[in-house]
Order: sequence, then C-alpha cells, then structure tokens
Amino acid sequence: MNRYFRELSVTGALAIILLGLAAFAPAFFQPQPLLSLATREAPTLIVAGGMALVIITRQIDISVGSQFSVSGICAGLLAARGWPLPLVLIAAISIGALLGALNGLLVAGLRLPSIVVTLATMVTLRQGLNLVRQGEFVNLPDSIQWFGLSQAAGQWALVIFTLLFTVGLGVALRHIAAGRLVYAVGTDAEAARLAGISPQRVTFCAFVCLGGLTGLAAMMNLVQSPQIQPLSGQGMELKVIAAVVVGGVAISGGRGNLWGALAGLMLLACIAPALTHLHVEAYWEKAIQGGIILLAVMADGWRARKGGR
Amino acid sequence: MSAPPILELRQIQKSFGGAWALRGVDFDLYPGEVHALLGENGAGKSTLIKIITGAHPPDAGTVKIGGNVVTGLTPATTQKLGISCIYQQPALFPDLTVAENIALRLETGAKLRRIAWPARRARARDLLFRLGAAISPETEIRHLSMPEQQLVEIACAIGAGARIVIMDEPTAALTQKEQQRLFNVVRDLRKSGVGVIYISHRLEEIFALADRVTVLRDGQSVGTQPVAAINQATLIKMMVGREVTQNYPKRTTPLGAVVLRLENLGCARAGVQDVSFSLHAGEIFGLAGLVGAGRTELARILFGLTPADSGEIRLHEKSVALSSPQAAVARGIAYVPEDRRRHGVVLEMALEENISMASHRRLFPRRWLQTAAEDRLARGFIRDLAIKCAGPSALGGSLSGGNQQKVALARWLATKPIVLILDEPTQGVDIGAKGEIHKIVRQLAHEGIAVLLISSDLPEVLGMSDRIGVMRAGRLTAILPRGSDAATVMSAALGQSELDPV
Amino acid sequence: MRTEPQPSPRDWPTRLLRHEMLLLYVLLAEWLFFYFAGTTVNRKGVLVGFGTLDRQFDILRHSCEIGLLALALTPIILTAGIDLSVGSLLGLCAILFGKLWHDGGLSLPLATTLTLILGGIGGALNATLITALRLPPLIVTLGTYSLFRGLAEAITRGAITYTDFPGEFLFIGQERWLGLPTQAWLFFTVALAVTLLVHRTTFGRSFRAIGFSPEGARYAGLPVARRLALVYTLAGIIAALAAIIYTARLGQAKADAGTGYELFAITAVVLGGTSIFGGTGSVYGTLLGVAAIAVLKNGLACLPVVMRMNAAEEMAGLLTGALLLFALAGSVLPKLWAAGRSRRSPPSSP
Repeated sequence: MNRYFRELSVTGALAIILLGLAAFAPAFFQPQPLLSLATREAPTLIVAGGMALVIITRQIDISVGSQFSVSGICAGLLAARGWPLPLVLIAAISIGALLGALNGLLVAGLRLPSIVVTLATMVTLRQGLNLVRQGEFVNLPDSIQWFGLSQAAGQWALVIFTLLFTVGLGVALRHIAAGRLVYAVGTDAEAARLAGISPQRVTFCAFVCLGGLTGLAAMMNLVQSPQIQPLSGQGMELKVIAAVVVGGVAISGGRGNLWGALAGLMLLACIAPALTHLHVEAYWEKAIQGGIILLAVMADGWRARKGGR
Repeated sequence: MSAPPILELRQIQKSFGGAWALRGVDFDLYPGEVHALLGENGAGKSTLIKIITGAHPPDAGTVKIGGNVVTGLTPATTQKLGISCIYQQPALFPDLTVAENIALRLETGAKLRRIAWPARRARARDLLFRLGAAISPETEIRHLSMPEQQLVEIACAIGAGARIVIMDEPTAALTQKEQQRLFNVVRDLRKSGVGVIYISHRLEEIFALADRVTVLRDGQSVGTQPVAAINQATLIKMMVGREVTQNYPKRTTPLGAVVLRLENLGCARAGVQDVSFSLHAGEIFGLAGLVGAGRTELARILFGLTPADSGEIRLHEKSVALSSPQAAVARGIAYVPEDRRRHGVVLEMALEENISMASHRRLFPRRWLQTAAEDRLARGFIRDLAIKCAGPSALGGSLSGGNQQKVALARWLATKPIVLILDEPTQGVDIGAKGEIHKIVRQLAHEGIAVLLISSDLPEVLGMSDRIGVMRAGRLTAILPRGSDAATVMSAALGQSELDPV
Repeated sequence: MRTEPQPSPRDWPTRLLRHEMLLLYVLLAEWLFFYFAGTTVNRKGVLVGFGTLDRQFDILRHSCEIGLLALALTPIILTAGIDLSVGSLLGLCAILFGKLWHDGGLSLPLATTLTLILGGIGGALNATLITALRLPPLIVTLGTYSLFRGLAEAITRGAITYTDFPGEFLFIGQERWLGLPTQAWLFFTVALAVTLLVHRTTFGRSFRAIGFSPEGARYAGLPVARRLALVYTLAGIIAALAAIIYTARLGQAKADAGTGYELFAITAVVLGGTSIFGGTGSVYGTLLGVAAIAVLKNGLACLPVVMRMNAAEEMAGLLTGALLLFALAGSVLPKLWAAGRSRRSPPSSP
C-alpha cells in the first residue's frame, strides 16, 4: 500500500467537498469570506502542528484549549498594559511553553498517562482562569489589531505566515535530526532507548513545543479581535485532535506528518461552511466531527488488523 | 589463529532466583572466525549472549574484550566496543524506512543538525549492496520480510564497524536460498576479520559455516572443538550426552481409551499443518522438537487461541470446534502455557485468585464468589503440590519460578481437565521443583488425565513420555515409542534422516 | 510497567484499606473544616450554611449524578480502560428522554425504560469499537464524547430545552422519600449493585485480572472481550439513569447536561485509590472519592470568603483538577522512588 495513502485519501475527500461546494454553493468561493475563514482557522492549524508532534510520540494533550485561553488572556492583559507587540508575543509563547512543560513533566517525568494528566490540567487551568477573570473580557489596544496593519493586509499576513510556518515545521520534522527522534520514540520507545535516545526527554520536548505553539496561536487569535474572552480556547482540543487524527497521524504513535494534519484540518474547517451553504443545520458540526474521528480510527484499526500487527 | 582473542569469557556464573543459568563457562572468540554455540533450550546460550551484550551482569567471572577486562557493561557500551547482536526478532523501528533505521543506529551528532537524506540513502544502499540485498533504502521496515529485516540489522552491524557479531538463530525463518545468501554474508564478515558467534540448532549449518563449536549443557561448557575434527553424531552426543540419571516416575496402570484424536489438523496462520495423532487417557504424550517447530502453536490451536482452519479435533470420538479458550475449557482441555510470568499466573493477584481463575464456572456456579470454597481449594493445592508460599493470599509474583509453575498447574487441575497440555513445564525451574512436577504429572496421568507434554528438555521428554511425537517445521515428523534414545529423537527433530556411524 | 512484578511487602488488601482509611480521614477533616468555617447564624438567629441538615441533603442530591458516573467508571478503570464519553452520553440521554416524553408522547415509565436502553446502546457502541476492532478506549471514547454531545446539540438545534415535567417525575429529583432525597435511594441501589458486581462476583475478579494482564486473563480462559463489552455497556446504562435523575432534579433536559462530569467522575475514582493502570481499586474508595469531591464543591459555596468572590463552582473545579493531579502523582511517586533507589530502572514505554 502506498505510504501516503492516508494523506492522499484525505486530500481526495477535501477535493470532493470543495467540488461539491463549487457545484452547489459557489458562493463559498468568494475571496473575502474564504480569507476570513482561513484567518479564523490559522491559529488552530498552528496548534495542530504541535499536537501532531505530541501524538507522534504516542501521547495526547487535551489541555490545549485551556492553554490557549490562558496564554491569550495573559498576553491580552500585557498588551492592555501597553507592552510592545514583540514582547507580548514572546510572553505568550513562553507562557504556553511553561504550561506545556508542566504537562511534559507529569507525563514524561512521572510516567503518568497523558490523557488523565491533561484532562486534569485542562480543567485546572480553565477553572483557574474563570476564577481569576470571572468571565471578564480584556479590551485590547488598537495598536495590537492586525499587527497595526489594515485588516486585509493583516489577514493575508496571518494566513501566509501560518502556511509558511506549517511547511517549515513539516520540513523540520522530516529533515532535522531531532524531528526523526520524535518518530523513533513514538514507533517503539524501547527500541529508541536501545538506540541511545531518551524517550522521556523527547516526550517532554514535544509537550513544550505544543505549549509554545499554542501560545503563538493564542497570540495570532489575539490580533484578530478588539477583545479577548476567557473561553476563547474551549473545545479547541477536539477540533485539533480530530484534524490530526483524520490527517493520518496514528494515535498509536510513530506515523503521520503535517501535510496530513493540514489536509485534515482543512477538511474539518470546510464542514461548517459547507453545512451552511448546503442548507444543513450547523448544529450537526460537533456530531460530524465525532463521527469523523471514529471513522478515522476505525480505518486505522482495520488497516492494522489487515497488516497483522 | 595467531592473533589474540577479541573476546574472552572466564568462569562466567549467573543465576536467576536460585536457579543456575551458567555455572562457570569459558568461551573465547578470535578475529576472523565463526564460533558456533550449540545446546538445548535452557542450556544457557541466551544468558551467555546477554552477558556479552551487557543486558545481564554476570554474578562472577571475567569478560575480556580486545584483551582488556571490562566490567559494568550495558547494551550501549558494548555497542561502542564493537559488539553487535542480531536477534531472531530484529529490534528495528517498524514505521521508519530502512535508511532511517540504519542512520538512527549509526549517526551521532547534534540534535538540531540538518539531515542529509541523500547521504543516508546512499550509505544504506551501499551497505545493503555489500550484503547483496535487493532492498530499497526507502522501504518501511514493516513491509520487509523477516530475513530482509535481519539483513538490515547486519547492515547496521557492518556500518557500525562491529568486530564481534552475534547471530541468534538467524536462519530460523529463512528459506534455503535466503540461508545461502546469509552464509555468504557471514563468510564475508569472517574474511574481513570479524569474529562471529553463531547460534543455531541446525547442525548442517554449523558444519557448513563454523570454524569451532562450543556445546553448552545445563549451564556448563561441555567442550569446544574444531568443526573439522568432529562429526554430527559426536555433536549430538555432546548435546544430549547426559545419561538419564534422574529417576523419572514410570507408568504403572494400563492406558485408557482414546480421549483426543487429531486428524490432519492445521492452521495456516500458526504455521502448523497436517498433524495427526491420538492421545489415550492416562497417557503422557511427549512432544519434542526445536523452538519454532510448531509445538506451542499446536497447543494454542488445541486451546482455541488460534483456532484450526483445517482438519478435525475429536474429543471422545466426537468432532469438536475449539474456537476460543472458553470453548476449550468447557470441553475439559487445559493448557499450562510456556511463558508463565506473562500468561501462566497473574503476578499481581493473590495465589488463591490465580488458582480459581480458570474454574469460576465450576467453583462459583451462580457467579457469587465463595471465598471459603476458594480458600479451601487453594489450601488443598498448596498442600498437595507442596507450594511454598506465605499463604493463599500471597501474591503470584512473590513466589519462586517453580512454585509459580505449580500455581499455574493448580489453576488447571482445579478445572478437572480431561486433556492437560503442559508447555515447557520445568523451564527455568530449579532441580528440586522439577522432580516434584514430574511426580505430579505422572500422578495426574495415573488418575486418567491425558497429558500432552511439550518440552525441549530431552531427558525429560524421554523419561516422562509413554510415546514421543517429534515436530519439525510445523509438521509431526515421527512418533516414537517409549525407550527411544536421545539421538533418534534429536535426529528426527533436526531433520537428519541418517546418522553417520560413530 | 506491568510486566515487572511488584513484590509488595504487604499484601494488597491491607494496603488498599490503608488508602481508603486515609481518604476517610481526609473526608472527615474536610467536613469538619467546612462545618466550622461554613456554618453561620443569620440575623434571625437561624443556623445557615454548611452545618444544616438541608445542606447535607443538598450535597447528597448534587452528588448523585457524578456519583453514578463514577460508579460506572470504576469497573472500566479496573480493566485498565477509560470512558471519556459518559458525560456526553448523559447529555444525549437527557435530550432523548425529553424528546421521547415530550415529542414522542410516551408515558414516563416507557420513556425511562427506552432511555436506559438507548444509553446501553451508546455504551455498546463504545464496547464494539473497543473489543471488535481492538481500538484504544481513549480515542474511541474521545470520538464518542464529541459524537454524543454533538447529537444532543443537533437534536435540540442547540436551543430546545424540554421542561414542564409532571410533579410525580420531579419527585425523583427534588423531593424526599423515607427521609432522604429520592434519587439517593437510586444511587445507593446502584452503588450496592456495583459493589456486589465488583467485589462479590466472578465478574469483578475478571475485571481485575484483565486490568493487570489482559493476555494472562485470556490464557486463563476468561472471556476478555465479553467482560470488556459488559463494563462499557453498563456504563452507558448508568449514564442514562444519571440523565434521568439530572432531568428530574433540574426539571429540564438540555443538550449541555453533564458537561465536564467525566472529569469529576474520573477524579473520584482515581482519588478513591483505583489505579489508572488497572487491576487495583474498590467501589468503597470511589464512594469516598465522590463524597470528598461533593463536600468540597458544596462546602466552598458556604465559605464566606468564596461567597463574596461568587466563584464556588470555579474554585471547586480548580481544586478537583489539582486534587486529581496530586492523587495521580501520589500513586506513582513512591514506586518511582523505590525503583530509583534499587537501580536505574529501564523506563517503560510512556
């Protein structure tokens, strides 16, 4: 079977949806709404890149939504105090990385199951944020909006940056030695250990990367609106995990790449607009997302059984 | 052999939980030689290998590599010292490509350096070419066959500039043609001055390939001989040489009716084909053969773990389908598995829970636990089988190997089986417990249970069995009567049709 | 981690008992703290706050649904599995129940029965994917977590709330029967049933064996797939029961019913001493865990400081998450230390 079968089939599914939209709802392809859609999904794509890293090491992080909210609010507060944009950006990334490091420490250091650890950090962070902020919004200074550019320019800048970044990360994952360690650990942690790799360290780093990227994504979300609300990241974890899993990153670790995650996210991102354009109620989105996750893991399960592994 | 040995082991001792694995073994290896290591299962070959690769530290004795005494070996340090081990099951990353697997073994350097994929591929292609292997460096390991994976392992070893290469039954899964190619690779390695430790059960390979051969038996070296100076018969004698000194309990009652009859039984998935024999009540039917000959696989078919896809199983002359372990248990088939720590006992559960585990239906017909009955059952077995433990609530993992084996046995005796399959029941068990287990097994046969005894311990099979079936490559190749000698059994297992006259 | 035997100095019943006793002390201390810090006398001279009997019944009333989910999760976690979808299934069942009764025009008993069956089907979906396709429970239930909640939202279009349930139905959730909140009786019945199942029958034995060593259980002739299917299906039915109680307590069925309950339930189980790696644990521990969380949640609401902050809910969530982290860390740290002291042990796959 072709190595990139999954990536290709997801791209195929995406193409079919786009063709269907072109045939039945050409309004979808108007440039401005499309650009807005891309801008809205840009932060999610950044997080999906980090999530792919973590899942390839055979872990999972469902606290990204809370990390996203916390980094966003913190960055927003700093921006509101008049910090310059670059410093705010660095702060957002650092806060995210710190939160990721906490997860990494618990998972890699104490060898706790990542699902329960991140479930706990998800709620702790979210409720902590709610407790402190009481649902209050942060008003952002205008200078932060679209990096001080016009809206259209800002949107283009954001989308282009995101795509370049994702490509860069994808290339790094393939062409930098450290990227390959991630795969080695996810494929077989014991064999990795025998080959002189520390699975613990790699796992920890993957969580830190995901945290940092989540911080970056929060920053990218921040510049899009005049206000930032504490619930901005709620539910993000599911969308991100769904995108990554649908894109062919195996939950059993060691397999997948960012192109698949990119295609997976685009597929999921098109569902909601497609539903509206095709006159299906948007309330089905979550159910369809869940169904797509299940289909994707079922496909993996079938393939694994056929492969006899 | 003028050069000094690159590897010298002196008086290596190792024991596991009181059972000796090695008691003072000497072994040496010269550059440019193939030194074969031979012995029955449990003779200590794998322990010796693990000591060389640093996976186990020796209890006593010295290891010299390249003339220097080394201590505190770990797998990482031995790799640096130029030792590579190619296992039967290659330890590769299945989802990564060949080139990448080789690179992960060989490349060191900064974590953030750029990967030179073309160079990686070129090196992989070069190494594989030297081995004469037609494998693309871009293939993922899981798409490779077992022999191809072994070649990748060997490529890693060559790439790492290994001076000592250990091959643990490398030909077990290979076809004739692949074997020949592997032999050429080994000969090339020898020519380039590498010392090869070659473990195999196939005598013809040893004669075709090795310069010297060392035979291990019961954790001791029986002797090292130049291959040119010995013949197969001598070698077989060295392997099984020990007289049956132990007093094996003999059958005193006549055989009963046929209980289990297999007709052309096969399972393609398990690699077993066309097995036919019958088993009488009160009989101990020994099943001899090499590791991988299909004996455990046959047992798994009979226990419903990998159901048969051809042939027939007749129990009391009635055809039965054994599609799951539950079905097998319900029909009175019991299986004491080979790997007792993983399958035989649940180490974290109490002894009484382990003993009652297979007979929930019988012991607790209404599914309510009857702790008193369970306790009684456990105490009964602790007494009858002389299990040494702190009491019925001691954890399975707290017992010694022999006592764990008795617990595994007790679990199945509690089901009151008709057919009892024992898979290597005395492997890794100390000598005292071994004798006790033998007595128990004979007593069970005496009580009318049909026993299928799988064992790689030749004296045990010879001493215990009423008849001996020999398996080779998934087929039953011979059924020998009681009193057959070791050489006959070993020849049948090895596929030797005729023996050189001694 | 599983293949290495842990030669424990004490046998597990005593150790387990110790954990549960410890938890009991914590619970008592917690209760006493809130009793003294959270009880006040108001201007009319009437006792208000935590110390009142009404408040105690309230705690019981509020802990029933999460308690039921925790009971459902205990056997699952004993088998080394997990079910993240119970909270979503609760929401879906609440909606289905409302729809069956309100739009379907079914009688309440019939609607209840059908809802329990539908909950069982939801659980059976998890069970099928996990046992037949041998998929990891984590990702399967993450998928159904989204699917069930999404279906609930789709059915209600995110807006419909079913209300106007008759008084005899609300009796289950809002009144008292024989001196206790009505749903408490249901909760205690289920608790008793699960306790018997886990501790007194061969089923529970199988769950533990599967949790310790699924292969070992298979070689002992235990029907591993059937037992796993049982625990996940049972969890679905119990989630449906929790949905009915939830609806009766609030008098309305909404799509967001039970959001986040899975966390509280998992926390209660882990806090109660059930190992997330499977095998060890008890229902008694789970019940204590539920009580500890419920007291915390309600006690905080009675504290004057928190009341002024008006954030008892968030505080409780925060503390529960932190509590779970500490309980998890506490369960592995001693083992890690012991391993580190004896030798630099090889790390197991994370």
